[in-house]
Amino acid sequence: MLDTEPKLLVLDHVGRRLAGREVVQDLCLSLDRGEVLGLLGVNGAGKSTTLAMIAGVLAPGRGAVRIDGRDLAEHPGLARRMVGYLPEQVPLYAELTVGEYLDACGRLRAMHAAARRRAIEAVLARLDLGAVARRLCGALSLGLRQRVGLAQALLHDPPLLVLDEPGNGLDPLQTASLRTLIRELGRGRAVILSTHLLPEVTAVCDRVAILHEGRLRHDAPLTDGAALERTFLAIAAGAAAA
Amino acid sequence: MSARAVARLELKRLAVRPFAWTLAALALAFLAWQFLQLLDGFLKVQTRLAAQADAPGYTDLVAVPLLAAAAQLLLVATPLLTMHALAGERRARTLPLLFACGQSPRAIVLGKYLGVLPWLAGILLLAAAMPLALAPATHLDGGKFAAALLGVALLTATLAAIGVACSAYASHPALAAAAAFALTLALWAIDAGARAQGVDNGAINYLAMATHVQPLLRGLVASVDLLYFALAIALALALATHRLAAERVRG
Repeated sequence: MLDTEPKLLVLDHVGRRLAGREVVQDLCLSLDRGEVLGLLGVNGAGKSTTLAMIAGVLAPGRGAVRIDGRDLAEHPGLARRMVGYLPEQVPLYAELTVGEYLDACGRLRAMHAAARRRAIEAVLARLDLGAVARRLCGALSLGLRQRVGLAQALLHDPPLLVLDEPGNGLDPLQTASLRTLIRELGRGRAVILSTHLLPEVTAVCDRVAILHEGRLRHDAPLTDGAALERTFLAIAAGAAAA
Repeated sequence: MSARAVARLELKRLAVRPFAWTLAALALAFLAWQFLQLLDGFLKVQTRLAAQADAPGYTDLVAVPLLAAAAQLLLVATPLLTMHALAGERRARTLPLLFACGQSPRAIVLGKYLGVLPWLAGILLLAAAMPLALAPATHLDGGKFAAALLGVALLTATLAAIGVACSAYASHPALAAAAAFALTLALWAIDAGARAQGVDNGAINYLAMATHVQPLLRGLVASVDLLYFALAIALALALATHRLAAERVRG
C-alpha cells in the first residue's frame, strides 16, 4: 500500500453530546484495511455512539468522520457503499422473511437486481442461513437474529465493518463461530467491534482502543491479554475513584 | 431515486400485515353497505325524480355520496395505516438501518409516504368501482364523478402526509394515530365551528379541508383547492423531514 493512500477510517477530534451529556469527547482514531479493532469500554462509555457516527446514523457534534479520505457528512453515500453496520439491537423487520429482509436491504443500498441476488445467496451460504431464508425474522432465535443482522451488514461487501456488541445473546458455540467469522472478515477489510467483554477482544482483535466516559484512554496493538485486562481495570477503577 | 426502495419496503410490509388487510376489508365492507343503502334509496325515488326537470340523478344520489362517505371513512382509517410509518421504525429500532443504508431523511419520509399511498389508492379505487359498475345501466355524469374522485383522492393524500408527519414526531404508533386523527378532525371541522360563530369567508374557513373538498364533490375543480392540498402535503412532508433530520443531529 502506498504511504499517500488515506486511511480507510479516520475519526478526527470527534465529539458528540446526547441528552445534555458529552457522550464522546475529542476522539481521534484511525483504522486501515486488514485491521480488527476492538473498542472496549464499560457500559455508557460512548462505544455505541462512536459506532453510530462511523456508520452515518448519528452526525458528529464536533470533528469529522472520514472514510477513504472523504468526510462522511459531505458524502453521505459513502456509508451506503463502504460501511456495513450491525447495531447493538439488530434492526430486523419481524413481518418479513429473512430472504425478503435481505432483498430489501440490498434495494436500500441501491444494489442492482443480479448483484443483489448473488450477494444474498453468498451471505446466506457464508453465515449458514440458507435453511432459514423463508422463516419470518420475528420468529428467529437470538443467535439467528444476530447472524441475519450480520448478513445485512455484509451484503454489499463493504471494506469497513462496524459491529456493535456482535456477541450479544450468543451461546458459547455461536460465539466461537462468530469469532472465527470476524477473524476471516478482518483479512480483507477493516473491522471495528465494540464490546465490554475482554475475552471477545483478545480472541479476535489485533488492536484495542479503550473508551471511558467518552474519552479515548488507550489505543495500542494487542500483545498480551493479561496486560490488557490490567490496563482496562486500571482505567475503569481510576475513573471510578476519581 | 432512493425513496423508491423505502416506498417498496413500506408497501411490502403493509402487504404482509394482517392489520392492513383487515382495515381495508372493513372499510370496503362498510362502503359496500353504504352503496347498497344509497342505491336502495335512489331506486325508491327514481320514478318520482324522472318526472321532474333537472332532478338529481344516480351521480348526485349514489356515486358522489358514496365518495363522500369514503372520505369520512378514510379520515379515520388513514391515521391507522400511517401510524407505523416512522413511529413504528423508531419503536422497533430499525431507523438506524435506513440511515446506515445511506437513506437521507427526505428519502425516508418520501418513501414512507409513497409506500402507503398505493394501499389507500386501492381502497379508494375499489370504492369508486362500486358506482362505476352500474354506469352502463345508469346516467353517470363522468365529469362530476371524476372531480369528486379527485377531491377524495387529494384529501386522502393529504391525510396520509399528515399521518406520516405525526408518525415522525411520535414515539409510539398509537400516539401518532391519535395525533393524526385529532389534527385531521380539527382541520375538517374548523370550518363548521367558524360558521357557527358567523365567520364564513375568513382565513379560518380557508384552512379547513372541508372547504376545499366540497366544491370538488360538487364537480367544481378550482386551482385554489388543488393548491391547498398541494401545500398541505408539502408542509406535512417538510415537517416530517425536518424532524427526522433533527433526530440524526440531536440523537
